[in-house]
Amino acid sequence: MCCSHSFEDRRPQVPSEAMDLEIIRGMKFFDPHVHMSSRTTDDYQAMADAGVVALIEPAFWLGQPRTGIDSFRDYYSSLVGWERFRSSQFGIKHYCTIGLNSREANNEKLAAEVMEILPLFIYKEGVVGIGEIGFDDQTAAEEKYYRLQLELAKEAGLPVQVHTPHRDKKRGTQRSMDIAIEHGIDPYMVIIDHNNEETVKEVLDRGFWAAFTIYPFTKMGNERMVEVAKQYGPERIMINSAADWGISDPLAIPKTAALMKLRGISDEDIRLITYSNAITAFAQSGQIDENDFTKPQSIDQSEKFEGNTVLRGGQQPRTDKSSMIIS
Amino acid sequence: MFDYDAERLKALIIEVSRSNLSPDTWTWLSENLSSEDSRQINTAFALMPRKTGKSVIQISKDLNSKIDHVKPGFTVENWTTDKLGRLCLLLHLNPADQEKYIKTIENLFLAAEVSELVALYSSLPVLAWPDRWKLRCAEGIRSNIGLVLEAIMYHNPYPEKYLDEKAWNQLILKAFFTDKDIIQIPGIDERANAELALTLTDYAHERWAAKRKINPFLWRFTSKFLDEGLIHDLQKVLFEGSLREKQAAALTLVQSGSASASELLKSYPELLNAIKNNELNWANMAQEEENN
Repeated sequence: MCCSHSFEDRRPQVPSEAMDLEIIRGMKFFDPHVHMSSRTTDDYQAMADAGVVALIEPAFWLGQPRTGIDSFRDYYSSLVGWERFRSSQFGIKHYCTIGLNSREANNEKLAAEVMEILPLFIYKEGVVGIGEIGFDDQTAAEEKYYRLQLELAKEAGLPVQVHTPHRDKKRGTQRSMDIAIEHGIDPYMVIIDHNNEETVKEVLDRGFWAAFTIYPFTKMGNERMVEVAKQYGPERIMINSAADWGISDPLAIPKTAALMKLRGISDEDIRLITYSNAITAFAQSGQIDENDFTKPQSIDQSEKFEGNTVLRGGQQPRTDKSSMIIS
Repeated sequence: MFDYDAERLKALIIEVSRSNLSPDTWTWLSENLSSEDSRQINTAFALMPRKTGKSVIQISKDLNSKIDHVKPGFTVENWTTDKLGRLCLLLHLNPADQEKYIKTIENLFLAAEVSELVALYSSLPVLAWPDRWKLRCAEGIRSNIGLVLEAIMYHNPYPEKYLDEKAWNQLILKAFFTDKDIIQIPGIDERANAELALTLTDYAHERWAAKRKINPFLWRFTSKFLDEGLIHDLQKVLFEGSLREKQAAALTLVQSGSASASELLKSYPELLNAIKNNELNWANMAQEEENN
């Protein structure tokens, strides 16, 4: 590291509130946006322990650009294959959305090839939407591939998970909604992601789902989220962690639920915001059966079959983190 | 092209499919059978569970044995409707153009999610051009997804018949390393070999050094290759192993038919008698003890 600042200097200056998830013990959570491919097995265990029973992993940018179509193919295939299996070992049901992210839409040659292979993946079991798509720099290429993928979603009858830009967010969000409506897509099939206090009202007023990403430093903090929940209520609002390879928090949902409870939001509203709304929105794909994660031994025989596999030695063993001994 | 009567199997699988799918679903599926259009094939293959559901199929004993007669070792028992529908689709691909046929199925592998991989690997024994799937099968054994490994290992007659020794040995090693139920793998005695026995023995020694448990089925693979060292290892198991391990060691020694094995077994008349009276065999050993 080049810098002289120690890590101590960069600690947040606000006094921390000790984490206590006891008050939400027994609640179930659904994280509709989390990039587990970038996370460790410790995260999976912590999420399962905190009550996360199911999640959605949207296809996104991997931190550096891909240079060939096979990288995309392998990535999509890992979302429906390896990562899904990895998640199942921790008892968490894994869904995904498939799409070409906005940044890489700017590599036009590659983007065209990606559009060719998307139909191979969007009909797979457990693919609950087209996502995350939308705008980053708001270029013409981004718009072109956003529109093409909206058409694809319409054709496949899938919900759309829309990434809204960091820069010029408010107008980028408006434009994303305008275009979706222009393509004749029902706002109820569209989840507008990464909202903040400035965007939420219009998103809700126009009939879209409003997702909030609880992500330290750059997106929403959860104290702000509590205030939003108080102001707007639970209808069509959901939260996610969007945890990825950056400094982020896979426990963002349980922590926010705990904070909501501490600050007097009702259990029912918490359930809607941290669990049910996301399921209602994405279950429009026909690919979510709540029994899959509420009753591990469900009536669905093949799921039961897989469930048993998890129990049959597939479950990852626990290690004692407090012990010096590794055996 | 096929190493069995493919037309006959196709007819039987159609019979099972029709009796397990609703008329509407069967109509949808049959409209997608024998398509030459790769996009239609890919989409039908992916859409299968949305159309068929995923319930466990019902199949009569009679049909079961007919299928086993046409393709020995192959079974669709306990399959789900989506898996069956996918098999039906695969059986109807036109195999005449070998390269096109291989490419169509390879592309399904490349984009497959877990249930699709399971259906594909379970169908390997009934695909056309069986020699051409050796590398694909070996690739599947490299998977870390438990269900995929089980699709290749359990009740699947392809590996025994077609894998070369190196790939076969990897399959068996992988089965031990991933705690699979060894007895469900066809061909374990028939394809036992000296190289595998040696590698497994080394593995057993490593486990001992790490003070970890050894799956007692491991010894079964050594029975035809017992040398002084292995006799010594089995003696150790008979002396200090759990009941299950002792049983496995005794079964291995009896299976070997060697003179030094008989000599060693003389000290364990109870085990020997149990085996002779068929009260003890590989399928009914004592349960594994918890906590080492």
